[in-house]
Amino acid sequence: MKKMLTLCLTAAMIFSLAGCSQQNNRETAGITDTQEDKGLDVMGNHVTYDPNHLVNNGNPVSIDWWIWSSEELFQNIADAYEEIHPNVTINLINNPWDGYFTKLPLSLQKGADGPTLFNIHNSYENLLMNYIEPYEIDTQQLIADYPSAASHLKDGKIYYTDYGLSTGMVYYNKRLWEQAKLTDQDIPVTWKEFIEIAEKLTVFDKNGAMTQAGFNYNNQFQAIALGLNYQFGENLFTEDGKVSQTAGKGMTQAVSLLTDLYESYHVGDKDFGTDCEQSFFQEQSAMVFVWGFFVDKLKTNYPDLEYGTFEIPTPDRKTPYAYYRYNGESTPGINKNASSEQKETAQDFMRFFFANDEIQIMLSRDGGLIPAKSALMDSEELRDTPLVRTVGPHIDRYIWPGSMPSTLENNIKIAGEDILYNGKSMEKALKNAAKIIDVDLANADFTASESLYEFYHQ
Amino acid sequence: MFKRRPLQSKSEIWMRNIVMSILVIYMVIFLIVPVVMVLMGSLHQWNPLNGTYKWIGIENYTRMFSYPTFWQSMFNTVIFCIFVVFFRVILGLGIAYAVNSKMTRFKTFFRTVFYMPTVTPLVAVAYVWKIMYNPQFGLIDKIFGLDINWLYDSAFALPALMLMTVWKDFGYAVILFLSGLLSLPSDCYESASIDGANAWQTFRHITLPLLKPTMLFVVVTSIISYLQAYVPVLVMTKGGPGTSTYLSSYLVFDQAFKQYNFGYASAISLFILVLTAIFTVISFKAAGSKEN
Repeated sequence: MKKMLTLCLTAAMIFSLAGCSQQNNRETAGITDTQEDKGLDVMGNHVTYDPNHLVNNGNPVSIDWWIWSSEELFQNIADAYEEIHPNVTINLINNPWDGYFTKLPLSLQKGADGPTLFNIHNSYENLLMNYIEPYEIDTQQLIADYPSAASHLKDGKIYYTDYGLSTGMVYYNKRLWEQAKLTDQDIPVTWKEFIEIAEKLTVFDKNGAMTQAGFNYNNQFQAIALGLNYQFGENLFTEDGKVSQTAGKGMTQAVSLLTDLYESYHVGDKDFGTDCEQSFFQEQSAMVFVWGFFVDKLKTNYPDLEYGTFEIPTPDRKTPYAYYRYNGESTPGINKNASSEQKETAQDFMRFFFANDEIQIMLSRDGGLIPAKSALMDSEELRDTPLVRTVGPHIDRYIWPGSMPSTLENNIKIAGEDILYNGKSMEKALKNAAKIIDVDLANADFTASESLYEFYHQ
Repeated sequence: MFKRRPLQSKSEIWMRNIVMSILVIYMVIFLIVPVVMVLMGSLHQWNPLNGTYKWIGIENYTRMFSYPTFWQSMFNTVIFCIFVVFFRVILGLGIAYAVNSKMTRFKTFFRTVFYMPTVTPLVAVAYVWKIMYNPQFGLIDKIFGLDINWLYDSAFALPALMLMTVWKDFGYAVILFLSGLLSLPSDCYESASIDGANAWQTFRHITLPLLKPTMLFVVVTSIISYLQAYVPVLVMTKGGPGTSTYLSSYLVFDQAFKQYNFGYASAISLFILVLTAIFTVISFKAAGSKEN
C-alpha cells in the first residue's frame, strides 16, 4: 500500500512537472485543405492577398503566436485566417508583459521549438533582431500602404513595422467638468489655459487637504516628460542620434512645467494617490495624460465613466516644432529558425494581416490607435475613435524618436521621483539620468530616428 | 603514521561513491559553473538574450565603483540588514521566551500564529502591505490618523519595507529560538533557582549564553538572506522613490532583467558574493573566539 502510494505521488509529480512545459502540448487540427479556389475576393491596396491558394500544400501545419495582451483581439485575427485555411492551426500563447522579453529571446534560441510568430514592442528590438526573418513582401508596396514602414527598413528589408500609431492625450472626466461649470468651449489649447481649467477642477476640503485633483500625473511623469521637450524646440537626441539630450534645455523646461503644476499651481499633488490612472477611475482626478491604450482600459473596466479627450496643450497658439512623440504598435515578427512549413505559413499570414482592412480597423479601434495604413486614416469606422478624433489632425506634427530602449523611461522616472519626492535639484537629477542613459544607449547600439521627422530641419 | 581505516563493505563503498558523485556533480553544476560564468561575464559586455558577449576587461567594475546607485544600494542593504536582523532577533527571542514560559497556555496556538506570516508567500504579503501603505485608502494611515505617503516618501519608504520584512520573518526566529530553549539543560535552571537568581539574572547569565549558537545561526542566515532580498522592493517600490530603496540584489535584478546588462549585474553579484563570504567568515571567527 505504502509503495503504491509512493508510486502514485511520484507519477503525479512527474505529470505536474511535465505540465509546466508549454512547448510540448501544441495542438494540431490535422485537417487537410484541398480547396484551392475558395471563391474569395483578393484583398488589399498595394500589398494584396489572394486567399485562393493552399498554404503548405494544404497539409496540416501548426504555429505558435506569442502575445502579451489583447488575447481576444488577436484570437479573432487568428480565427479569420484559420477560416480561410482550415489546415492551419494558430496557437495563441498569452505571456504576461512582465518577463515577456526575457522569455521570448530564450524561447527563440530554441530554434524551431520557439514560437513562429511573436508580438514585438519596439523598445526591445535589439533583443530580438537576431531571431527575426524579414517579411517576404515587396518593401515599396508595404511602404506605400504603411508609410511608417520606411523607418523600419534595415538593409532594404523590413523585419517588423507598425500596424498602428499611439500617443498621449489628455482625458477629462465629463461629470467633474460639468460640476465645475465647464463646457466644450473651455477645452484648453495652451498650457496657461490648461492651468486655469485645472485650478477650477481642483477641490480642497476645509482643512486645505486636496480632495480632487485638477490634473494628476502620478506614476506617469516619465510618459509625459519624454516628448514634451519637443514643444520647447529641442530633440531628445543629438544630431547623430547617439546621445540623449535628457539634461538639455528642452527637457529641463518640460520637467519644470510639470513640477510647477504641482508645486506652484497646486492643481495636483505628488502624494494624491500613487497612480493617476486609478485616481481617474475613482473620479478623484479630473484630468490625466495617458496614451491611447487607456481607451481600452476605460472601456473594459469602467464603461460607465463618461470622459472626453483633448490634445496636449502647447506653450502658445502657434504650431509647435512638434506636439509630442508617438510610438508604433508593432506587427508580429517571424522566427527565422522556425521550420520551412511554419515560416511559409507565417509569411502568408503576415500578408493577410497587412492586406486585410477589417483586421486593421479592428486593431486600431479596439487598441485605441491611429491606423498605420494610410488608406484607413479617414475610414468611417475610425473617424470617431478618441485618438483619431483628438490627435489625427496634427499627427504629422508628432515625432517618432526611434525604438527607444527602456533605459530612457526608467531613468526619467527615477529623475522625476528624485525631483518630486527626494528634493533633488532638477539639474542634478536630469544630469544623473543622462549619464546612465548614454552608457546604456552606447551598449544598446541605438541610433535615434528623429532625423526622419518631416520638420526636423525647421 | 598511517591511520588504519575501519573495514568497509563493498556496498558501503559503492553507496558512498554514488552519494559523493551526486554531491560533486550538484556542486559543479549549480555552484562552480555559475560562479565561473558570473566571473567571466563580469569581464564582458554580456547579454545572453541577443548573444552579445564582448570582452571589456574590468570596465564593469570601474563603472560599478563610480555608479552612485551602487553605493546607495550598498548603504541601503547595510541599513536594511542591521535593522531587520536586530528586530527579528529581539522579537523572535522575546516571543519565544514568552511562549516557552510555564505561565503561557495554548502554546501550539501561539506557535502557529507567529509562524503563519513566514509560510505565507512573500509576494502576496508584499502586495497586501503595499495596499496597507496606500496614502488614500491604506489601513495604516487610517488607523493611526496619519497622512504619510509611505512608499513614496524617501524618509519612510525603506523603513516601510523593513517593517514589512520584520513582520513577515520574525516567526522563523521564534521557532528556532523555541527549539533552542527547549533543548537547554534543566539542571542549570535548577541550580540558578537554588542560588536565588531572579528571572532577569537567569535569562542574562544562563539562557542567553546557552542560546548563542542558535542566535549566531539566526543572525548569519538572516544576513545572507537579506543580502539577497529583492522581492519586497520589486513589488512595493520598484526601488523608488528615485533610487532610495534600491537594495544590492534589486540592483542586480534591475540591471540583469530590466536593463539587460548581464555583465554589469555579474560584477555586482560577484562583489556581493565576496562580501557575504567575508562577513560569514568574520561572524564565525568572532563567535569562535568569544567561545574560546
